[in-house]
Amino acid sequence: MNDRNALKQGVIQKIFSSILKSIKSIGYGIYRSLVRFVLGVKKRFVRFGKRFMDASAVTKVSHFVMGFGQLARKQFVKGFIYLFIQLGFFFILFTSPTVNGTPIGLDALRNFITLGTVEGDVFTPTDNSMLMMLFGVVTLGLIGMFIAGYLSNINSSYHNDLLIRDGKKVLSFKEDLAELLDSRFHMTMLTPAILGIVVFTILPTVFMILIAFTNFDAQHPAGQVLFDWVGFENFKNVFSGQGEVSVRFIPVLSWTLVWAFFATFSNYIAGILLALLINKKTIKLKKLWRTVFILTIAIPQFLSLLAVRSILSEYGPVNNLLMTVGLIDNPISFLGTATNPMTARASVLFINLWVGIPYTMLMTSGILMNIPTDLYEAAQIDGATKRQAFISITIPYIVFVTTPYLITSFVGNITSFNIIFLLTGGGPAVGGGYKAGSTDLLVTWLYKLTIDENEYNMGSVIGIFTFLITATGTLLSYRKSKAYKEEEAFQ
Amino acid sequence: MNKKILFLILVLASVFVLVGCKKDAPLTIWVGTESVEFYEGVIEDYLAAYETANGEAFPHEILVKGADTGSAAATFLEDTEAGPDIFTVAHDNLGKLIAGSSSIAPVTDADLLAQIENDNPDSFKEVIKGVVGGQTYTFGVPYIAQSLVLYYNKEFITTEQVQTWEGILAAAEAANKQALSLTGTDGFNNSFLLLATNAETGQSSLKLYYGGDINNNFASGDDTVSVMKWGQRFFTHENGPKRPTDSGWQIELKDEISLSVISGAWHYNAASAALGSKLGIVKLPTFTITEADAYGSVTAGTVFQSGTFADTKMFVMKKGSKYQEFLQDIVKYLSSKDVQEASYEEVQNLPAYKNAAVEFESMTGNTLEAQLASAQIEMFEHGIPQPFGFDNRFNFYYYSKGAPDLILEILENKSGTETGLFTSFDQIKAQLLIIENIWKTGNKE
Amino acid sequence: MRNGDAKPKKFKSVKRQEQISTISGYVTLVIMSIIWLYPILWIILSAFRTEKNDQGQLIGIVVSNYFPRAIGFDNFVNLFNNTLFPRWFMNTLFVSVISFVISTTLTLSVAYVMSKLKFKARKSFLNIALILGMFPGFMSIIAIYYILKAMNLTQTLFALILAYSAGAGLGFYVAKGFFDLIPNSLIESARLDGATNFQIFKKIIIPLSKPIIIYTALLSFTGPWMDFIFARVILGETNPELHTVAVGLYSMLYGSQSTVDPNRFTMFAAGSVIVAIPIVALFLSMQKYYVEGVTAGAVKG
Repeated sequence: MNDRNALKQGVIQKIFSSILKSIKSIGYGIYRSLVRFVLGVKKRFVRFGKRFMDASAVTKVSHFVMGFGQLARKQFVKGFIYLFIQLGFFFILFTSPTVNGTPIGLDALRNFITLGTVEGDVFTPTDNSMLMMLFGVVTLGLIGMFIAGYLSNINSSYHNDLLIRDGKKVLSFKEDLAELLDSRFHMTMLTPAILGIVVFTILPTVFMILIAFTNFDAQHPAGQVLFDWVGFENFKNVFSGQGEVSVRFIPVLSWTLVWAFFATFSNYIAGILLALLINKKTIKLKKLWRTVFILTIAIPQFLSLLAVRSILSEYGPVNNLLMTVGLIDNPISFLGTATNPMTARASVLFINLWVGIPYTMLMTSGILMNIPTDLYEAAQIDGATKRQAFISITIPYIVFVTTPYLITSFVGNITSFNIIFLLTGGGPAVGGGYKAGSTDLLVTWLYKLTIDENEYNMGSVIGIFTFLITATGTLLSYRKSKAYKEEEAFQ
Repeated sequence: MNKKILFLILVLASVFVLVGCKKDAPLTIWVGTESVEFYEGVIEDYLAAYETANGEAFPHEILVKGADTGSAAATFLEDTEAGPDIFTVAHDNLGKLIAGSSSIAPVTDADLLAQIENDNPDSFKEVIKGVVGGQTYTFGVPYIAQSLVLYYNKEFITTEQVQTWEGILAAAEAANKQALSLTGTDGFNNSFLLLATNAETGQSSLKLYYGGDINNNFASGDDTVSVMKWGQRFFTHENGPKRPTDSGWQIELKDEISLSVISGAWHYNAASAALGSKLGIVKLPTFTITEADAYGSVTAGTVFQSGTFADTKMFVMKKGSKYQEFLQDIVKYLSSKDVQEASYEEVQNLPAYKNAAVEFESMTGNTLEAQLASAQIEMFEHGIPQPFGFDNRFNFYYYSKGAPDLILEILENKSGTETGLFTSFDQIKAQLLIIENIWKTGNKE
Repeated sequence: MRNGDAKPKKFKSVKRQEQISTISGYVTLVIMSIIWLYPILWIILSAFRTEKNDQGQLIGIVVSNYFPRAIGFDNFVNLFNNTLFPRWFMNTLFVSVISFVISTTLTLSVAYVMSKLKFKARKSFLNIALILGMFPGFMSIIAIYYILKAMNLTQTLFALILAYSAGAGLGFYVAKGFFDLIPNSLIESARLDGATNFQIFKKIIIPLSKPIIIYTALLSFTGPWMDFIFARVILGETNPELHTVAVGLYSMLYGSQSTVDPNRFTMFAAGSVIVAIPIVALFLSMQKYYVEGVTAGAVKG
């Protein structure tokens, strides 16, 4: 017993110290990468200057007129592409065309700082601060992409310089394209993906992060009232303990962590047990049992959860069954209208079991089928009983292989939106009119704040916070996991 | 190989370019989803009338779409530029729409203003105006009126009993069911006690943003305290009202778990589906203050009439719309007396026209629809329009800052709430003062 | 002698123990299967339920009896005639097919590059992708809506396709884990034979990656059928002819006030059954690949 306690203590200590170590190493990592970044920028500038000096006259001109270096060497198609990029970019930058009533280009950069000045009145339009912010970010992105194109232009021209100096021929367009399929294949494959990611993931994310530093909320609807930068005030607000959002912040955060913990572990343990049960030698019809559980995964979650919600409603079949059997006299409210928030919380955890066990069960089954049999044979030769083999081989193997999954699943449960939103809508409501109900997670609260209440800045703050939690969790696990270590080896 | 790739890129690019070239949006009108067909017919008539009056066809295409009127304002505000040119909202959304520099255009056409002035009851004329940049403008054109009524199960409640809450409660006791299903615990669906008026004088001491002034709120009058005490006895009665459940009030009515529900015309179809031939519609019942409830200047035996918000749905126009010059004329036609009458006949929209009950033939009669109309019209005399159009904050403070929950706390009188039980009058009055504060400032203190 | 007696006794009790544990195992499995299938059977039964009230109208609400008292196809007929369900189905099919093509291409390209090709910014791309993937998805719905609006695409299905598939390049981890398992020696020898990277990809990698392609395709195909948040915001609520099945079915029961009608629960169940059939069929037939994908993801982390 004492050994067990000591072991437990040792484990807890180890977890704490590894968390501390990870935080320290994250801190060092950030510091080091900042230093590296600054040094790297300095190095790049130096290299840029040197290359300029070293370049031929034609390439020097390329620094000012993109495409010149290519055109001068008869790479017509490439040259015109670069020239076109430059002209197009300058056009957008300097003429600031208006899109949806708000300009892009240099004007957008100015608007980005002021977030609109024209207040308008009942007959004239107001500056749309939100679009101004968005287009400011878009313009910055365009500038970034232009710089990439510009550098690539100089690079290729300089590359041609070196080829000529070495006495080799400059590549024709056809040969260039062929290179794209071979030595520069990674560019071809990555470019469309990166383009999509930049426009549809990075840009929106940056925009939403910036909103957390403004006062864009329900009192400042875009296009009617101007809003402004307010710096860290929203964050201070959330942690001050006063005001609607901050009063509910700690309760929602703690419930989110509790939920993630229980949901993950209950699914994990129950799933493994179920897989082990089905896998027992004496149980027949293994495929049948597995198919039953796979069926619940196959059905789209939002349909099955709405079905469960209606089954558990006060005048639905489950309550009817319980009353007929005589277990209860009056119907019980299980979910969003429960009188006791704990009922609702327990209900969602149970239903989460219904949803999640099949996943862990499947995964464990897959692993069980792949355990190398020689381990068992060796144990048998050593005289171990079946039970001993089970305890000292099967269980540790499963635990070892699925630990990274455990952590990803924990992180995933923090952002598990569907279950809470579809089953309880976040309720039962907490007295006092606070938007976050007793089963609201950070993500469902974020949804309510942003989409229902139009409190975009508070929603962004919550979103950033959620991100910080999940990021820390993932980084912690990823560093420890095999994959990362093998990554190093691969490099 | 390269040619194939180039070709693919060209195809993709052209697809996107084609998609990008959208043609100009036509003049769009949003009406309630149940009235789309009717208004499409009305627009056709309008186009014909326009052609006869002006000698040439209307120069643009008009498109009528259905949108949920409850969320039309919110949907419009999400993207005003792509929004409709004319749409309908309940008048309490006005504050949201005119915040800052307003997203809707004021009514400037003299003819239309005259029509509004002539056709509408005074209470509506107040709530369609708003202040932007220090000046008052008229923004909305009323065309539908609505208030809450009582849908009840005729099989268990007689026409005598349904006149008073005490009668309904007796019927519920006899049948061992719940008297009332609440459709919601928010400040709109659960407002019948708060807005109750003295049945004889028609007065109440309650002031809710009176005159559009944020400080003109009063909820702690003697009559309100008495009404709340009565409400407490009603709600804590074994066969009293029932909290909303996940299953919904429809199932409760249908399965005869409760006998009545307070709701509006938008739930008429649902109530009729739930109760079928057992559906009765009547104005909200009265109730009598007893010895136990009398407080201060209120004497036992005073009869109170349950109150309601009496609202109007109005047409509003987008600011800066491409078709600005045509909008007011169209709205004038859509909200005219004749169209309102036709709308009642065909889609049961209660007209906002002030003399509709008298002048429109179709509103007399004994069909269920006519009963719905007359019950609502009766309730107009006992109701106030939601006074939230003046300022963005009113709607927010009244609904979303916890005041309705506090009211429910008094009524349900459960132990375990923050401020304890509400058995004494002083406790009730203290809670009402907190509610007043929330209306004024958004905070409890 | 005593040992000889003891052995059969021990043998019997061990066998007994095994019997008891097997039987209790079966009992547990049966009970669990009933619990697991209870809601699913309920939806199927509700879809065929045609109880009518005394005025001949269909009772569509959630009733308390589990087994229906009358069955028929009324709900399906209703669904096809009185709602835009067929249109929603075609919309969703269109969106999911195109987004699955785009998503799979993007994910696999990125996964392959990350796994097999060496280039300068590789490590930082891995880290950035990891971090970006952790922002809650719908925080950026508003931004995506306005970006699409600037491209003049909102309220079209193309906008939805872009929203679902454009960011797919970030979800490459599982596929990468799979590609890591392909031995480098194969690639080396092909390169010695003079193949370009593109040819290696086409002729060697793709044929070997059937399980992971199917896994990725399965996930990206079923996504649009189940998402009701993005679709609602991007398509707008006033365009019911553009809705996907998820948005349409959701708004039947839980949408805005005037479209909600609990009387349509049986119709909702009918729609769910129709939507679930192809997805379940896909899942069951691709079961093997799905399990491989999940396991590969779990093991690699």
